[in-house]
Amino acid sequence: MRHVAVLPALVLLFLRLLANRLLGSLAPLIGAPARSWLLAVGFATLGLGAGSPSLAADIGSDFDAANKLYEQGKFSEAAAAYQKLLDAGAPAEAIHFNLGNAWFKAGQLGRAIAEWRLAERSSPRDPSVRFNLQFARKRVTGSDAPAGVLWQRALRSLTLNEWTVLASVLLWVWFLLLALREFKPMLRKVLSGYTSTAGLGALLLAVCLAGAAALQFNTRPAVVIVPEAIARTGPLDEAKVLHQLRDGTEVVVLDEKEVTVGESKQTWLQVRDNARRIGWVKGDQLSVLAAGRT
Amino acid sequence: MGLGRSSTQRTGRKFLPAIALLWFATLGGAFGATLTATLDRNVVPVGESITLSLVFEGAASAQQPTLPPISNVTVTPGTSQRNELSFFNGQQSSRTIYDFQLVATQPGDVVIPAIQGQAGGQVLTSQPLSLKIVKAEGASAQALTNLAFLRLIVPKTEVYVGEPFAVEIQLYWQNAQQVQIPQLNPDGFSLGPSPKPTQTRTQVGNTLYNLVICRLTATAARTGALPFGPAECSLTLLVPTANRNRSRDPFESFFNRGPEFQARPAVLKSDAVTMRVLPLPKENVPAGFNGAIGNYRMTASAAPTNLTVGDPITVRVQIAGNGPIDSLQLPAQADWRDFTTYPATAKTDLNDPLGQSGVRSFEQVVIPQNHEIQALPPLRFSFFDPQAKAYRTLSSPAVPLNIRPAASAAAPTSTLTNGTADATPPPADDIVHIRPRLDAAGAAAPLLVAQPWFLGAQSAPVLLWISLLLWRKRVELLANNPKRRRQREVAARIRDGLKELRGHAGAQKSLEFFATLFRLLQEQLGERLDLPASAITEAVIDERLRGCGVSDEVLKPLRELFQTCNAARYAPMTSSQELTALIPKLEGVLSELQRLKA
Repeated sequence: MRHVAVLPALVLLFLRLLANRLLGSLAPLIGAPARSWLLAVGFATLGLGAGSPSLAADIGSDFDAANKLYEQGKFSEAAAAYQKLLDAGAPAEAIHFNLGNAWFKAGQLGRAIAEWRLAERSSPRDPSVRFNLQFARKRVTGSDAPAGVLWQRALRSLTLNEWTVLASVLLWVWFLLLALREFKPMLRKVLSGYTSTAGLGALLLAVCLAGAAALQFNTRPAVVIVPEAIARTGPLDEAKVLHQLRDGTEVVVLDEKEVTVGESKQTWLQVRDNARRIGWVKGDQLSVLAAGRT
Repeated sequence: MGLGRSSTQRTGRKFLPAIALLWFATLGGAFGATLTATLDRNVVPVGESITLSLVFEGAASAQQPTLPPISNVTVTPGTSQRNELSFFNGQQSSRTIYDFQLVATQPGDVVIPAIQGQAGGQVLTSQPLSLKIVKAEGASAQALTNLAFLRLIVPKTEVYVGEPFAVEIQLYWQNAQQVQIPQLNPDGFSLGPSPKPTQTRTQVGNTLYNLVICRLTATAARTGALPFGPAECSLTLLVPTANRNRSRDPFESFFNRGPEFQARPAVLKSDAVTMRVLPLPKENVPAGFNGAIGNYRMTASAAPTNLTVGDPITVRVQIAGNGPIDSLQLPAQADWRDFTTYPATAKTDLNDPLGQSGVRSFEQVVIPQNHEIQALPPLRFSFFDPQAKAYRTLSSPAVPLNIRPAASAAAPTSTLTNGTADATPPPADDIVHIRPRLDAAGAAAPLLVAQPWFLGAQSAPVLLWISLLLWRKRVELLANNPKRRRQREVAARIRDGLKELRGHAGAQKSLEFFATLFRLLQEQLGERLDLPASAITEAVIDERLRGCGVSDEVLKPLRELFQTCNAARYAPMTSSQELTALIPKLEGVLSELQRLKA
């Protein structure tokens, strides 16, 4: 049973070293041109069409300009500048993080939480993102508990790609051990413990991967972005008021309906909050977190 | 006897529900009987008759009630009685109606007292009625002729602005066609809804008239002495012709019968009424007064009272009374500043067809904004009472509340932090500062599980394992089947031997060629006949192969090959062509042998 705990821990340690230490620690040490190239290569790898050093440098300078606006206390302008960067296709965790900060400083608690949650998807264990989220949640509910129950939070502690790599590594180890057993039958007895451990581990991680994917793609989290959103019994202004959702309240979208009012169309979302209360809220009062990558 | 008693008991039990139902129906009928008194109009000029109807409803047998003395009216001798039976939704209801004709003798406000009547051995009592008797001077002046006339009756001529007052338009005619509903000039007043006009008959002096009564309410929009009306009505009068009784000859009147009536279109017009409209007092106006006029009472409740900050409280308010009940609105409550309030929904249950009496129910959602709130402050509703000529304020009691703060939970213990050493703890009173650098490492990466190369890479260890598994299975299969293993070994040897043969033929090594050829035949025959290769001789061909049913087409070239090998020991061939020519023959024989069933 000791293998069950040791093997994923070792793989996770390897991933952390690879992702955080190497990239994160090397970045400050290398010069700006090298960073531009790194960004360009990174974006090109992601297929974002920004694979030229000049374009990456533009994004970098725009980012710096947005940061300057933030430092000058022009938080709304800074938020607009960060949003422009995101719209231009620079999906960096740092932009979501800084945009969250700008919204927070501008008094938009719900929008800040929404952006930090998007940043959390890329870096679920980043201490800065976690701290800011907890700080904002405490403002909303008086508690810094993250949204969701324990197993959901556990699944969200790794990105989908991290779960994928973990499951993949265990899968490789399991099948290589199985192959070795076929190639050298005399090693079967020796390898049986490792093989079953790797098999169970791979199965467990595959289940975790499926759960994390389901959590990310089958649930639509959203955050209230207006001071007071009113949850009603139905998708109509005339429907009875059920309860009130404060700015920054995190909810899960259960259903969606478009209602024609006069000549305009209104989108209503059926949401469930942490207290499992269900009600219909106008769509423009919520920021729905789109199913993202990683 | 026992059986008989039991049968009786069963029969009794069988009919018990029916008996109970009948008893309850009878009881219900007795308890449900009512006596209602109605007048065909509430305002009547002196000298005119009105109909007082006493309606027994749900009573099996009703006796004619005796009217008590009523001031200012006389009761005309003779009473009409009629019975009505109706079915609605499978329910039967019966009504017995007694109509009394009363003639107004003196002007004044008359109260017809409660009238007692007997029905089914039960004494029923009607409700009292009010009747206003007005002077008849104006009525005669309003008459175009004695054929038809129109009256506008306003019992109360001094009102406050915004106060609704009752109006009656009474249309009298003897004989007319195309009678239109009377219309009223509403300048300076707004008219309320008008229920369907009622039609009756009345006697004025010695003349019997048809009477249509239109009731409505009006509200003055401005102050001062304002003319109200007149009312107008168009109709076609049927005036008796002058030659109607000219001849006393019955034959003439029969054969030369002219029209008895002449149709004459006419427009009837009533007198206007001067209304004195007073402004609402400007003194002692309550803070929350929103223009309500009338006489009301109020009840209010709120639920839930044990809740969390942000949860809604539904406040239910009922305002009942007399006045323009359908237009009442709940005023904003200044004391509810700690609550978020939402527009109230309202519905009205009217007791009066003119909309001047009933109950208006409100539901308003309020949400407490903090947990320090102890109670929902009293709800206040102010109105102006025209009877008392003063403002009044109704107030509900404060509702105690138990409000908890928003749900809180313990901070999570972090077990999966990446714990980078450079993460400096931020100050506890502010968020972590923005990132100064845009790292590609933080960019969202595409999903690995959606990448074909990644999915392909995952199949590699699986394929490797499957290959090795099949390989091992094959090895084990051969190890457990010697005949199959020999077959595969012989096939390999023959493949190699044929290559050797071609080499020997090319090198013209006759001895080696025939030795190999003989060996190959031995190997193949030995494998087919399950004999050691060394035990195969030419004699075996006849002994074993013929017994196996091998045809002569195979045996003949086989025998020839054996004989050629034997002959070559003594007279070896040296020509390469000769040697090479034997190879296809050998291949043919080997092929035929391989087809033999082992």
